[in-house]
Amino acid sequence: MEKLLKAKDEEYVRNLFEQNLVEPVELVLFLESPGASRVTEHNKQYLAYTEEILTEVSNLSDKINLTIYKDDKEKEKEYGVENISAFFIEGKNTNKNIVYYGIPSGHEFSSLLEDIIDVSKGETQLPDKLKEMVRKISTNVNILVFVTPTCPHCPQAVRTAHQFALENKLIRSSMIEAQEFPEWSNKYNVYAVPKVVINDKMQFEGAVPEDTFLNSVYEALGIKLLF
Amino acid sequence: MENFDLFSEDMSSNRKADLNEVFDLAILGAGPAGLTASIYAGRAGLKFILVERLSSGGQIVFSDQVDNYPGFPEGISGSQLMERFEKQASKFGTQIFSGEVREIKKSDNLFLIETSSGTIKSRSVIYAMGADPMKLPVPEEERFRGKGVSYCATCDAAFFKDKIVCVVGGGDTALYDALHLSRFAKNVIVLHRRDKLRAVKVLQDIVKKNPRIELLLEHIPLHIIGNKKVEGLEVENVKTRESKVINIDGIFVAIGIVPNTLPLKGIVELDEKGFIKTDLNMETSVQGLFAAGDVRATPLRQVVTAASDGAIAAFSAQKYLENLER
Ligand SMILES: Cc1cc2nc3c(=O)[nH]c(=O)nc-3n(C[C@H](O)[C@H](O)[C@H](O)COP(=O)(O)OP(=O)(O)OC[C@H]3O[C@@H](n4cnc5c(N)ncnc54)[C@H](O)[C@@H]3O)c2cc1C
Repeated sequence: MEKLLKAKDEEYVRNLFEQNLVEPVELVLFLESPGASRVTEHNKQYLAYTEEILTEVSNLSDKINLTIYKDDKEKEKEYGVENISAFFIEGKNTNKNIVYYGIPSGHEFSSLLEDIIDVSKGETQLPDKLKEMVRKISTNVNILVFVTPTCPHCPQAVRTAHQFALENKLIRSSMIEAQEFPEWSNKYNVYAVPKVVINDKMQFEGAVPEDTFLNSVYEALGIKLLF
Repeated sequence: MENFDLFSEDMSSNRKADLNEVFDLAILGAGPAGLTASIYAGRAGLKFILVERLSSGGQIVFSDQVDNYPGFPEGISGSQLMERFEKQASKFGTQIFSGEVREIKKSDNLFLIETSSGTIKSRSVIYAMGADPMKLPVPEEERFRGKGVSYCATCDAAFFKDKIVCVVGGGDTALYDALHLSRFAKNVIVLHRRDKLRAVKVLQDIVKKNPRIELLLEHIPLHIIGNKKVEGLEVENVKTRESKVINIDGIFVAIGIVPNTLPLKGIVELDEKGFIKTDLNMETSVQGLFAAGDVRATPLRQVVTAASDGAIAAFSAQKYLENLER
């Protein structure tokens, strides 16, 4: 395959990593062979590209390591993989809870870069007040963020969800590239992105400020916050 | 796989600013107007902060083709154009502070700006928070928003592959949306209340040649029909008052904009449509508070005019600060 990143983009990302990465980061990618159970006629075309972009990104820093599991049912179970492709950004403060389903292309490429940096630093840029509120959550929260690569404000929603996950191991946040998973999108009636689904209960569309997003998380848990 | 030529590096925002400091200038909104103002503020050596609630770039990032910004004869996508604005702003020291502006107060020549990430203190302000799309004026809008009603063709077109969609509006944005959607949808109906489109001629000509796009003029939307998602739109002929239902799967709305002036309610003078009144220096009715771009009462709302406003506003803010010090 031809390289996906242009030379000048590679240079930019390499510099970005050099200046910002602290601790090692592990990218864990799950793939299946053609004809395997979870890959559909529709989404198999994306797998090679996802593998390629993650390989290229991981080659841009010594601190990033890529592990690929192919048809590995046991590992899929350990990570709670629901669809293929899936990948996880793992570092010392994560809990297999920063998840991407499908390729992080287009605008989502910036989510990937920023997530890697956050995980490597082991901290987010959320305001302290918000961090505290996120850390207080003591039950499991599952956040799905449906996106398309051409959606300019989707990374905002993905990043907020992933930052919550990095602040609290009980929160698992997944980006879902809606076009790659039409059935999943249909299940949640996704016709506009970003669309956020929290614990299968609470849903909203559009990019919102972090405190508003957190309000919705609390609401899904049955708690009304007053900021 | 057209999506893959683009791996975009949007400028990341940060929160490193020390809010205990008093800034010379707070620029609110990182669209074309705010980013241009920061280029000028940075070069003037002002101590400034640029505040943005979303990722930067403003409304133009929703456009995949900008043909009228000078310097790009082949056209450029809104996102790419804004990436360039951002790079240039960051070259002169701009960092984006991420937060939603909620309230602005002034006391003793000091502005207090309440944001979702803390209170900013500044001696002058450039208000460049632009506008949001106007909502479709039918009672069912909220129920079907995100369930077939969309305000972003670039984001959501892919959900309507081989479907029939309606674009409401007759201006440039509506026709760009229709053209973009025609690459996915089977059929695109452009619904407009007047007997003529408002968009520029070059766009009208392209649209009229597109076999997938159909015009439905002199009609207005009345009701959305559907159960869980949009299934149809009841429209009315403005002349005969006859109504009919068109079967469609999606409605893309491009009927104009609403200025983002909420944090200024009751503080500055607005025009009858709710846009901020300024003088030629971009100064509002409040001294030290400047407005720039789409949020301002102005005859033309474009990237080039927003950039121009931003430059003038930054220049004026600098003069204002110099006078304060005397
Ligand atoms: C689909 C579309 C196509 C267009 N095509 C063209 C074109 O081809 N050529 C052209 O010249 N113009 C075009 N325009 C118009 C152009 O986008 C606008 O004129 C321009 O973006 C105005 O810039 P601005 O900086 O004044 O405001 P905006 O672009 O609206 O930017 C304002 C910024 O402020 C932020 N903001 C708002 N509220 C808050 C808050 N409370 N707190 C913090 N931040 C806030 C917003 O998130 C936004 O980033 C198009 C517009 C649309 C919608």
